[in-house]
Amino acid sequence: MKRSELCSRRKSSVGIASSLVLPGRRTCPQVVLMEALSCGERRLGSDEEYAAPAVGVSLCDSAPLVWRMQDLRAVRAQGLVGALLGSLPRTPRQNGRLGRPLLLLPEEEGLLRERRAAAALPDRCQDWGGAELRQKHEEEEKKSFEEQSVLALEDRKLALLRAMTGAESGATSADEALRRRLQALDQNFTFPQSAMAVQLSTARAGLSYCPEARAFLQAYGPTGAEPRCDARYQVFRDLRGRGFYLTSAGKFGGDFLVYPGDPLRFHAHFIAVCVSLDESVCLLDVLAVARLGSNVKKTVLLCSPGPDARVCYTSLQWSGMI
Amino acid sequence: MSGASGGEKRPPPNWILQHPAYQQMKDLQIEDSAQVHAAFLVYMDLTEVRRWKEVSCVKSSELQVVLLEAREKEGAPTLTILPLPAHQSVTHKSIRHVLDRGFPVLLCAVAADSTLVYQRMTDGLVTPDPPVGPFQDMGRRQHRKRRQQR
Repeated sequence: MKRSELCSRRKSSVGIASSLVLPGRRTCPQVVLMEALSCGERRLGSDEEYAAPAVGVSLCDSAPLVWRMQDLRAVRAQGLVGALLGSLPRTPRQNGRLGRPLLLLPEEEGLLRERRAAAALPDRCQDWGGAELRQKHEEEEKKSFEEQSVLALEDRKLALLRAMTGAESGATSADEALRRRLQALDQNFTFPQSAMAVQLSTARAGLSYCPEARAFLQAYGPTGAEPRCDARYQVFRDLRGRGFYLTSAGKFGGDFLVYPGDPLRFHAHFIAVCVSLDESVCLLDVLAVARLGSNVKKTVLLCSPGPDARVCYTSLQWSGMI
Repeated sequence: MSGASGGEKRPPPNWILQHPAYQQMKDLQIEDSAQVHAAFLVYMDLTEVRRWKEVSCVKSSELQVVLLEAREKEGAPTLTILPLPAHQSVTHKSIRHVLDRGFPVLLCAVAADSTLVYQRMTDGLVTPDPPVGPFQDMGRRQHRKRRQQR
């Protein structure tokens, strides 16, 4: 596939994402991401200040998930991309556009912890049992019913008035009957329960009922147990600090894909492979990943954290010598 | 054919061992003979096949390997070439050593059948070449195609 086609497809797919906005429904995650993107742009200058409240992270068997919309916005505004996992209710049978929750990379979670910007949310809302939820729902329904009956009465009166004024001047008896009906309406009107319109609030479906975060997740300490994990984290932090956006590079056999800006707008420039300086790598593997990189028009970066907390990068490129 | 004693034809002398460039490399006293052999093959490729200029060999004491220095043509910048047998392993540290010499580095992997693969290595983040235009907005064509397939 030509690169130009890819670029164009990306541009058109951006258009398609915005067309997923269904009228009146502003909960589509893609739309939120676009909004967050434009917010993030304005905040480019103040990337270092993290004055925003903590992001709620739910741990599902050690997988860090972000569920709430404001948390997703906050995560994206900090330049962390993550991966959406859920299906969208209106378009279930496809994998092109996914919905919440957002799965964070271990490095992204580590970065949030380091900035003290992540807080653990409980898996289940133990405080909010089923009974309380049900009670709250019933109260809301009752309130809605009362509002709706008032409105229905108004509607009925208006309809009768319109019928009265629309009647011929000659038919006075019909007029009189209508007037009497109008007067009786206030006493006799009943709004049946079956006629009530029930509102389903998908935007709040149980996720924001969780009480606010309690414990801040502890900072990500240098474990030293797994050198490769540590190398990955150092590289992630350094590249993020330079303003690049990183996602996982499973498709390309590397550790990260490095984008010069938001992944929704750019193609990746680099495939980052994280090794420690002393780690011995088979030359054939180096050739393989370099060849792959040249086939997909990305530069392969060998990244190693150095001794003085700096990370050194080596770019591998095709030599052009056949 | 001939008698038992001394009758067998002596195998022809190994021309590689006698080549002055190879002997130069041998004088650098590198223990890894496979690497020296690889360096020689790269040397021959650069000088005879690609006709590069000013090809010379140097020793890297930290890595204990033979490095080559060459220019692609007159006036071109000098490059350092690191020849390695393909089955060997390499560390990022050793690559950094070679990069620290200050010249652009070409890593050359020499396979068992003498196939040579050159990879350019640079310090830092080198942006890949941008895609060539002109660009055409594909628009809805992708979706139209998918609908037709259904």
